[in-house]
Amino acid sequence: MAFNYDKYLRVNKMPTLWCWGCGDGVILKATIRAIDKMGWDMDNVCVVSGIGCSGRFSSYINCNTIHTTHGRTVAYATGVKLANPSVNVIVVAGDGDGLAIGGNHTIHGCRRNIDLNFILINNFIYGLTNSQTSPTTPQGMWSVSAQNGNIDPTFNACNLAIGAGASFVARETMIDPKKLEKILVKGFSHRGFSFFDIMSNCHINLGRKNKMANAMENLAWIDSITTPLKKWEALSPEEQLNKFPTGVLREVEQAEYCDMYDQVIAAAQGKRGKITQADFAKKI
Amino acid sequence: MGTFKTENPGNQPVWVNTSNCKACDICVSVCPSGVLGMKYEITSTLGAMISIDHPEACIGCSECELSCPDFAIYVADKKDYKFAKLTDESKERQAAIIANNYMSLSEQGVK
Amino acid sequence: MAREVISTGNELASIAAIDAGAMFFSGYPITPSSEVMHVASDLLPEVGGKFIQMEDEIAGIAAALGASMTGVKSYTATSGPGISLKAEQIGLGFIAEVPLVIVNVMRGGPSTGLPTRVSQADIGQAQYPTHGDYASITLCAGSLSECYTETVRGFNLAEKYMTPVFVLLDETIGHMHGKAVLPDLEEIKANIVNRATFDGPIDEYKPYKVPMNKPAVLNKMFQGYKHHVTGLHHGDEGFPTEDAAQCEFNIERLVGKINTVAKENDGLDDLPDYEEYMLEDAEVCLIAYGSIGLGAYEAVQKLRAEGIKAGMFRPIMLWPSPAKKIAEIGAKFKDKIFITELNMGQYSKEIERIIKRDDFTTLLKANGRPIAPAEMVAKVKEMM
Repeated sequence: MAFNYDKYLRVNKMPTLWCWGCGDGVILKATIRAIDKMGWDMDNVCVVSGIGCSGRFSSYINCNTIHTTHGRTVAYATGVKLANPSVNVIVVAGDGDGLAIGGNHTIHGCRRNIDLNFILINNFIYGLTNSQTSPTTPQGMWSVSAQNGNIDPTFNACNLAIGAGASFVARETMIDPKKLEKILVKGFSHRGFSFFDIMSNCHINLGRKNKMANAMENLAWIDSITTPLKKWEALSPEEQLNKFPTGVLREVEQAEYCDMYDQVIAAAQGKRGKITQADFAKKI
Repeated sequence: MGTFKTENPGNQPVWVNTSNCKACDICVSVCPSGVLGMKYEITSTLGAMISIDHPEACIGCSECELSCPDFAIYVADKKDYKFAKLTDESKERQAAIIANNYMSLSEQGVK
Repeated sequence: MAREVISTGNELASIAAIDAGAMFFSGYPITPSSEVMHVASDLLPEVGGKFIQMEDEIAGIAAALGASMTGVKSYTATSGPGISLKAEQIGLGFIAEVPLVIVNVMRGGPSTGLPTRVSQADIGQAQYPTHGDYASITLCAGSLSECYTETVRGFNLAEKYMTPVFVLLDETIGHMHGKAVLPDLEEIKANIVNRATFDGPIDEYKPYKVPMNKPAVLNKMFQGYKHHVTGLHHGDEGFPTEDAAQCEFNIERLVGKINTVAKENDGLDDLPDYEEYMLEDAEVCLIAYGSIGLGAYEAVQKLRAEGIKAGMFRPIMLWPSPAKKIAEIGAKFKDKIFITELNMGQYSKEIERIIKRDDFTTLLKANGRPIAPAEMVAKVKEMM
């Protein structure tokens, strides 16, 4: 065997309760392989998940795991990380979890640039609750809560993360697990808020009524709406409108929240003066 | 609860754990070399189960393993096994399998 | 050595939290509780603890629960609207058995209500803050000193019973500025309760495999015992289950570990669950709690000066209520019971439930104003 998954899985919880062909499993696998590449000790890893199909992610991975309420993953994870700055925290949320009910926490996690690795499993639909429109469901698609077709404009999750200040923002799909693993390693290595928009399939609940009722058709659609950043940049504005660029979209060095908080402790303990505007290059 | 086995059952290029396989067809779709196919299996939820029809053609690319959402298929390490080269025959077989609805060529490609 | 300080109720609650071992606060500003947060922002980093102002009330409790799940003592503070927003997370605290102290400085409601004015209308909310079945522990401070001591006690109870604990202050007592006598700090530290831990073999660790009416044993994270925390019903190991027998056991245990234990042991710890003031020879019993208790002391004295032998019963642990004592009072004072509270009778209902009668007199107010001793005196005289 080339890779020892047993070491990272709660093997007695297998098989997963995800549907056949669900991208969640592929992303779980890529995450495990990325953790292995990072050489992280699973005793020092915490995975925080929310509600939805992706919420079960935390029960399959063998580390310290927290299955929280709907949308609040980043808030719980912020508590975990700030209270234990030396551990590695991975947050897993779906598009409904992370962008709708939990959108506020997502943007503020990005803004603080706290060292969380936020994996947004973006399958463009509410899967667990059977096909309701999510913040990324394309306009014109059918959902059980848009019986006459969806008119709600969609979020570009990465643009949101960039706008909110995340210092590492990347998009990848589960179609190419090797690329996915690489980008996860890159983000895991980055100090600060790492935001991954991982486009995934839900042929059961998105595909069923949108002419992609098996995994392969759903993946082919994801492939058709994504293109590597370099190629995307060469597209005309009209073409760009209908493609999501993939790859690392933002990677900057930016003060991390727990590191900054160390300065708060130093100031409170009289080891330095109070924090003032002079401490920051950006004054406004 | 399924049994979870990842070890190579004995000098195989690629092997499966059928108790984890949900018959989603993804591994069959990503194989470049026509190694895999689905066979009808009445005891499986979706009525089919993964089958390794042409292990001798496996090139060890691991696409099937990495794309499997259910930890059901594994590929040997390149240093442990001497894999085949990708041939035109393999490529043609793979195209035929996809055209046959991801079913093994010995099966009728109807679902 | 006992300490004398000049402070406010809100500040004392935060000082107490840190003395009790809290190393994490997260919250969101809300009148009239914000000073709890202000003090945390000042004092926590001094002891190496962490303070964070979150983006909303929900995140305010979620981060604190997250920190506590890893084993770090945490607290948050808010007022009624904040509890309403935090409700779902409090439920996760109940079912996953996560210790947390929630300070609620009560103001007028419902909704935005009377943000800067006093109320005791969150008593019912503290008993049932969220959906589902569980039992709540709720302490109510009746003096500046108790803002300190009951917060310390809240932490110890949270750790002992593995559950969120409410410490209720009201706007009056939270913002009251004055002298408080606090217990000796060494004594506080010596009596700190820390959650139980399992130190056997890692593969034998089952955090929720505990007998009926016992709390879960949640080890600190990142020490090798890699457990799972979930808001779903869970089995011994903490993983989701829908097994009917297990779910029934879970709920019976969640309620029983507090209500049954309190009933069997006449309380949850050795500290007083109530105060009796001049009750020994009294012919009429005033029942009041929180800041209204402060007025009731004076009312008792005034009534006695006018020849009416009054006394006061002041519950401190509101939930589970000191039912045995309340039943005794019901039997002893018959219809000479006078209940006064800043709501439409939320605790009166509990008294009625216990004594199984409603022949008591009440003085209730829900307009954001306190109840003056003279009002109590007049009403008691009417009933005598």
